[in-house]
Amino acid sequence: MKRPLQTLLLTLTGTGLLHTALLTDTYLRYVKAGLRPALIVSGAVLLLLGLAGALTRDGQPTAGTGHGHDHTGMPRVAWLLFLPALSLLLLPPPALGAYTAARADTKPVAVQKGFGPLPATSPLPLTLTDFTKRVQQDRGRAIEHRTVRLTGFVTPAGRDAGWYLTRIVFSCCAADSQTVKVRVYGGEAPPADTWVEVTGTWHPRGTLGTRTAEAALDARGVRPVAQPVNAYTDDLPLTPS
Amino acid sequence: MDKSDELVGVTEGVAAVPHPGPPARRVRPWPPGAGPRPSPPGTVRRPWPRGAALTLAAALLLAGTPWLGHPAVQAWRTVCLAITVQALPFLLLGTALSGAINAFVPADLFTRVLPKRPALAVPVAGVAGAVLPGCECASVPVASSLIRRGVTPAAAFAFLLSAPAINPVVLTATAVAFPGDPAMVAARLLASLATAAVMGWLWLWLGKEEWLRPLLRHRHTGHRHGHSRWTEFRLGFQHDFLHAGGFLVLGAMAAATFDVTVPGSVLDAFSGTPWLSVLFLAVLAVLLAVCSEADAFVAASLTGFPPTARLAFLVVGPMVDLKLIALQAGTFGRAFAWRFSTATTVVAVTASVLTAGALL
Repeated sequence: MKRPLQTLLLTLTGTGLLHTALLTDTYLRYVKAGLRPALIVSGAVLLLLGLAGALTRDGQPTAGTGHGHDHTGMPRVAWLLFLPALSLLLLPPPALGAYTAARADTKPVAVQKGFGPLPATSPLPLTLTDFTKRVQQDRGRAIEHRTVRLTGFVTPAGRDAGWYLTRIVFSCCAADSQTVKVRVYGGEAPPADTWVEVTGTWHPRGTLGTRTAEAALDARGVRPVAQPVNAYTDDLPLTPS
Repeated sequence: MDKSDELVGVTEGVAAVPHPGPPARRVRPWPPGAGPRPSPPGTVRRPWPRGAALTLAAALLLAGTPWLGHPAVQAWRTVCLAITVQALPFLLLGTALSGAINAFVPADLFTRVLPKRPALAVPVAGVAGAVLPGCECASVPVASSLIRRGVTPAAAFAFLLSAPAINPVVLTATAVAFPGDPAMVAARLLASLATAAVMGWLWLWLGKEEWLRPLLRHRHTGHRHGHSRWTEFRLGFQHDFLHAGGFLVLGAMAAATFDVTVPGSVLDAFSGTPWLSVLFLAVLAVLLAVCSEADAFVAASLTGFPPTARLAFLVVGPMVDLKLIALQAGTFGRAFAWRFSTATTVVAVTASVLTAGALL
């Protein structure tokens, strides 16, 4: 790889990182928010490195001494770095969605020891994890007859009845993603990957408060919503302002 | 004008791998202003136009075809990009450190600090791994620059293996992922240190220097008189980063392919038998190539598996995985990478099983 191309590659990679982490929110599709400072610093360093390479002419041999700094011997594998750089700049892939969720097992929900009373708000906003815990672990059955509001994207259930309201969560980057699902009964299934807000009550199946209870909802209302900023967590949705 | 010898360990070795490539590769110095000239008959043309053509073709394919919209392709691109983006800051840190070691650290510093006897230097270097905060991508370039500065390869390899597994960031993440289970943190620390030391000693006993690429055998000292240290640092940093970055993308592609093509339900088939589950999670750690700062959370989620198998996942993952094998093949040579990775996997699984027997 020739020197000007190396400079171009460094500059492109740096710009790509800055574009994804500093100028937009797209980095949240791939990594956790906590990595943002590191990404910005890396982008700036790469950009400076590229600019320094473009401005100085240190690559040429000092005249007559024969002490050439010959760095033209880059292996061809370095070309591969153009792919993520251009991908970040021109065509960032979307966040993981129904395709991944349909093929993943549901993330096991942690065991919670005591449950407090539920707030009186109705409909009650809950995360998919909290809803699952209330259904399968809360012996006090506080969730019974309560109208709740859950947010997630749509994953088709295949030949089974209903569809899945889904969140994908990860702890570091999209490669370690895990899926949280709640089955939704009633109503037409919206197209896959649509972000929706579902209002409804627990779908009585199994014994409430035990593991036999299915984390499922009888939908009363399904409303499309904008994809939340924090799409890769199972938190209450933060909508873009 | 002749090609002079390498500066920060950069030129000759890298022409050899990863592809067999054209046998008589002409490396041409780059005089600015010298326009394209026809290749003299009988010489092999510089290979980069082919690389350029391939990349361009790949980019065009990716940009303009309907199958790009297929969910599987999109998921593959997302996972691949996620691994790359996640690793880039750590790779940059590692290559910057490696460039700084080459350009600024006096040549005899490491030989003075480390014990003279290689057999003693190995465990000391292994424990020293605790000071490099980050994941495994950072440790490969640093280990390579240590070797270039005259550190015995056995000690550098012990550092390479232990650094991503026992640094405070990773141990804290492990403690967070396994709340109320401090034994898992201790077991990870001990098993990783033991594996690193055993691999270092194994290299002293059986290792052959000719497995390493020629570049690393030269032991040349980084800074040379008459050159600006900053320029040396910058050029070495730039070269190492581009080089390792290419291999990182290669490894990320392999890991993403596994991630997207193998359904999660395969996991359940192996969780029943203890021995099979240990081996399976060790292999899974290699294939998934999860960053060592995150692998504890993945291990914590594999609830169907016994603790021994999860420990094996935590010990093997930072030491051997697809992107590391690609990085090592690029840095140390392919002959080294496959031998070293195979041996490390065996030693790491053994260490995990023994440690788990004692602690978990």
